[in-house]
Parts: sequence; structure tokens; C-alpha cells
Amino acid sequence: MPKVLRGKGVIAGIAIGKIMLVSQNIDGYLAAYQAGDVQAEIEKASDALKAVAEILQGNVKTLKEKDMPEQAGIMEAHRMMAQDPMMEESIMAKVQEGTNAPRAVLAASEESATLFENMDDAYFRERAVDIRDVGRRIAKYILGVKEPELGDEAVILCGNEIEPSVIANIPTEKIQGVILGQGSTTCHAVIIAKARAIATVVGLGEKVAGIADGVSVLLDGETGEIVMEPTDEIIANYQEKLQKQHELKAYYAKLAPLPAETTDGVRVQLAANIGGHTDMDSALSYGCEGVGLFRTEFVFMGREDIPTEEDQYKAYKEAIEKCAGNMCVIRTMDIGGDKPLAYLDIPKEENPFLGWRAIRISLARHELFMPQLKAILRAGVFGKAAIMLPMVISVTEVKQVKELIAQAKLELTHEGKAFADNVPLGIMVETPAAAVLTPVLAKHVDFFSIGTNDLVQYTLAVDRVNHNVSYLYSHFHPAVLRLIQTTIKAARDNGIWSGMCGEMASDPYAAVILMAMGIHELSMSAPSIPRVKEKIRSISSQKAKEVLDAVLELEDSEAVKEYLYKNI
Amino acid sequence: MEAKVVIANKAGIHARPASMLVQSATKFQSKIKLAAKGKTIDAKSILMIMSLGLVKGTEVVISAEGADADAAVKAIKDLVESKFGEE
Repeated sequence: MPKVLRGKGVIAGIAIGKIMLVSQNIDGYLAAYQAGDVQAEIEKASDALKAVAEILQGNVKTLKEKDMPEQAGIMEAHRMMAQDPMMEESIMAKVQEGTNAPRAVLAASEESATLFENMDDAYFRERAVDIRDVGRRIAKYILGVKEPELGDEAVILCGNEIEPSVIANIPTEKIQGVILGQGSTTCHAVIIAKARAIATVVGLGEKVAGIADGVSVLLDGETGEIVMEPTDEIIANYQEKLQKQHELKAYYAKLAPLPAETTDGVRVQLAANIGGHTDMDSALSYGCEGVGLFRTEFVFMGREDIPTEEDQYKAYKEAIEKCAGNMCVIRTMDIGGDKPLAYLDIPKEENPFLGWRAIRISLARHELFMPQLKAILRAGVFGKAAIMLPMVISVTEVKQVKELIAQAKLELTHEGKAFADNVPLGIMVETPAAAVLTPVLAKHVDFFSIGTNDLVQYTLAVDRVNHNVSYLYSHFHPAVLRLIQTTIKAARDNGIWSGMCGEMASDPYAAVILMAMGIHELSMSAPSIPRVKEKIRSISSQKAKEVLDAVLELEDSEAVKEYLYKNI
Repeated sequence: MEAKVVIANKAGIHARPASMLVQSATKFQSKIKLAAKGKTIDAKSILMIMSLGLVKGTEVVISAEGADADAAVKAIKDLVESKFGEE
């Protein structure tokens, strides 16, 4: 019987393929490393330095060909670090003293990194990250830990944690599935996998260390089962499930071009949440009508310095073009102490969710915010773009941003760069403050988009990853429903549109009552679109209105949920 | 052979200019050294160059020893003075 591991299935789907380890943790490999004599270790270190420099040289070439000179420049600096005489000298001295090759590399890079960390200038301090990165790359090479470099075959990515940038940079068709040791279902790697409907199992814990590179597995993203080296018989057993998966896919494909319209002709726009333009092809195949949330954090993460206006412009332009006439809502950077960036220098905070994050950072750090605003305005020339601000709590923030946008336009005019003059400005309604204030805010913005993940968390004072209280987390809580209703009504009363881009929008039952409240747009991870559309197409707006009226009379989230499940 | 230059580009010697310096230096056989802030380092080492933390306005003495020393010093001097194609 093949070995079966069990984790938590978070994104349904069957994947059969070979494992590619993308582990960030090399401690296990270090412990298992069998060192040779000094001469052998010197050769290993020297070979690794040459080999890594060559790999990096290849990366530089590819990046240049892809017209990404900034990243190419960074990779070029990495290559030089791998060939640096000071680094090499330090590594060899350590090997001579009896340290094995991988540890000598790590120690030498750590020494250099520390040197940089103690420098006065923030830029140089942050270079420590690069030096450690290069050191780890060389050590990994010696240890035989593969960098995720893809062949023709699609693989199953596996690691305790996987850096979001690693998944983000691999085309969807190359990834069959994802396996994570850590258990968070809201980490960025999972969010990206969700946007692309990649079968995913998380929470394997230490068992993840037992999965070897290149081994064949069968992964069931629904049950959380991972069958190691499945026999043909087992694969055959899964054929039925695979068959259903294919049928469902075919059905969804048929649904894709149809509108999300009630039986009596009330339409809702269904848009996609994306993390980058690479998510767009998959999103379009599910029939998304534009993008309701472009999470620009991914443009900022997984790199060592602030993305330039040019880098951002290219990323936004591509997504906007793919929206083909539909709106592409670009949310400005939503980063805080919970996902720190080397170049941002965010101090450690006791309460990152109540701390210096999102619009608060953008308004304090114009050198970050201006290039983003300018990039969006410029990209707006290629279709319909919109700017959306996260974590707003007051009109003041909106006014400040408007001034900055005016300044950005002025600068672009001086620089002779083309830009769209009429890019709508909206806010995320994700704090109770914003929701309560929507009748006032509506006079200052062009749209609202309700971010339920945070709105629920802030309204109910519940951290949904805290196991002791997560049962209290529900978007059907009457307080949350009332805030949402207030927001949608304020939008309608003031002639602006309202949408939702939180997880609630992907709940078909919630979609029905949101539609009845008069919401214009629902944005969700694209694979959820067919289910929501199916529900909306099955009901009349009259019936939905009746259901909403009844739901608003109910006293708690359980009662709401029960009523919805029973009646629609 | 020796020459004096002042770092003129706004951002100073960050990763990109540092790699351009190394690229230029490694083209020559001579031993090339940079001296600044009381330290003298190998111009073929990106780590050492960056560890000097050369910001705009820092004075740097370029020196070289070897067959192509003159050309080496001139090339590095020109590169710094060209502001590495930056602002």
C-alpha cells in the first residue's frame, strides 16, 4: 500500500505529478550533509561558486531579454557577489579551519551581511538581504536543494512555506498542485493558488520533510490526502473524481460567457481578484468581467528594493489591457507589520492590524506612493483603470490622496508622459469607521468596495486565525450585514457604484442578499465566479428581496445562515 | 598610477553602479584599488565596494598596478564621472 499523508485540503482538485521542493528551510539538509576532507570541501565550494555564478548569469540574460533591466541589474550584482574575491577568500579560510563547505558559505555570507547591516545608510543595510540570499543559493547548490527551475512537465510545489513571489513567477500551466507544511489558509501563497484554482493542501507540519524531491504523488485538494507514489490502481480509483472535475470544468466553461443575471433580468457584475497580470488568463476563463481587486502587494513583495514607476506601469498596463474594456480596480499598496518588506523599514508592532499599514504608510512615504499613483495614471491610458485606497477611516485621507494625484498629474505633464485624466478614485470599506461614514465619504469618492475580511474582523473584534475565537467570525453577523447595507445604500443615494472584494462575495448565498441590497459588483477569486453566477441565475430579484427582508429580521449569524441554506 | 574622483550620482554606489564598477575593473589585468573613508579595497570585489558605503560627494582615490594600469584608472574614473548613466 502506498503511503498516504494527510493535511488540510484548502483548494479542491486532483493533481497527479512530480514533487518539486521549494523549501526555504535548509537546516535539515545541513544536518544530513556528509562532508569530505578539506580538499574535497574546497573543490565543492569552488565548483558551487562557479556554477551559481553561471546560473545567475543565465538569469541576467533572460531578464534582459524580457526587458526587465532593473531586475537584471540586481541579478548581475548577485552574480558578482557569488564571484566576489572577498567572499571566496573568507569561505576558503573557513573550510581550511575545518568547517564544511555549505556551512562555510553561510558563515561567510552572514559575516558580510552583518557588516552591511551595521552601515549608516538604510540602502546598504538592506543589501544584507541580497548577501544572505546569494549565500543561501550557493549553500543550497552544494546541498543539492533545487531552486525552482522548471522543465516541460507541470509539477507539484512543496515546502514548509513557499514565498509568494516563487509561485507568482511560475505560469499556472506549470503548477499542478501546492503542498505546504504550515497551516495558514490565508497566507499569500494560498491566496495566489486560489486565484488560479491550483489544488492545494496545507498544514502537513513536520510530515512535509518526508516528501522527497521528484517523487510522484497524487494530491486531493478536497480531502487533504496526499498519496505517495500512487499505483495505477489508485490513480484509476481517482479517475471518477477526475472525470467529475472535468465535467464541472466543462460546465463552468459553458457558464463563462453568460451574464450573472436573475431570472427577471437584474444583473450583477462579477469581477476577479488578482495578484498580478499573470492571474488574468485563468480569471478570464472563468468569465470574469474585469478586475475588482488588483492586490499590488505582489508587485512590491519578493524583491529587494522599491519597484520603480516603470516596473509598476508595465504590470498594471498588462492587467488593464487584459480586462478588455472592463474596469480594472487597482488597490494601492496594502502592506503592514504582518508582511514586512526589507526596504520599507516597518518597525515591529504589537498590533500590526491596528498599526502602520496600507494607506497610512502610503501617505507617510511619498517616495513609495507617488510612483504607484503615477504608474496607475499612465497605465490608465490603455483601458479602464480605477484607484482604490485600502484601510481608509476618514475623509481627510481621501483629500490628501486627491492632492497627491493632482501633483502626480502635474509631474507627468512636465515629464511629457501620457496619462489618463479621468481615473476614478474609490475606497475599500473595510473599517467600521468607513462603513458608518459612507454617506459622507460618498460625496468624495467615485466608488466603494467592501473588503469583508477586514470589515468582519474589525467589527466583531475577532482574529480569524485565532483558533479560540475563529468560530465567532462570520460575514452573516447582523452587525456586519447592517454596515454593508449602509454602504450600498450610501452609494446608491449618491449615484456612485458599490462592490465587494472580500471573501463574502464568493459565497453564493451571501451574493443573493448583496444583490438584493443593490450592490453593483462582486469581485472574488476567479474560480468562485461560476458558483456565484449559477446561484444568481437560479433566482428572481423578487425572491431575493423577500429573503433579504427576512434575513434582516434575524438576530444572529447562525440564524441567518440557516435561513439562507433552507430557503435559496 | 592614481586619480581622484568624487561620487556624483544622486543615489551613490548602490548595487547597480557597484556592479558596473566591478564589470569595468575585471576587464583589466592590473590590481585596481579604491581608497575612501580611510579604507583601501579591491575594486574587483562588489562586496568590498559596497561595504565602503559610497554616497554622493564622497572622494575616492583610484589606483592601479600592472601592465594596463593607466587604462584601468582612466576607465574607472570616466565611469564614476559619467554618474553611471544615472541622475
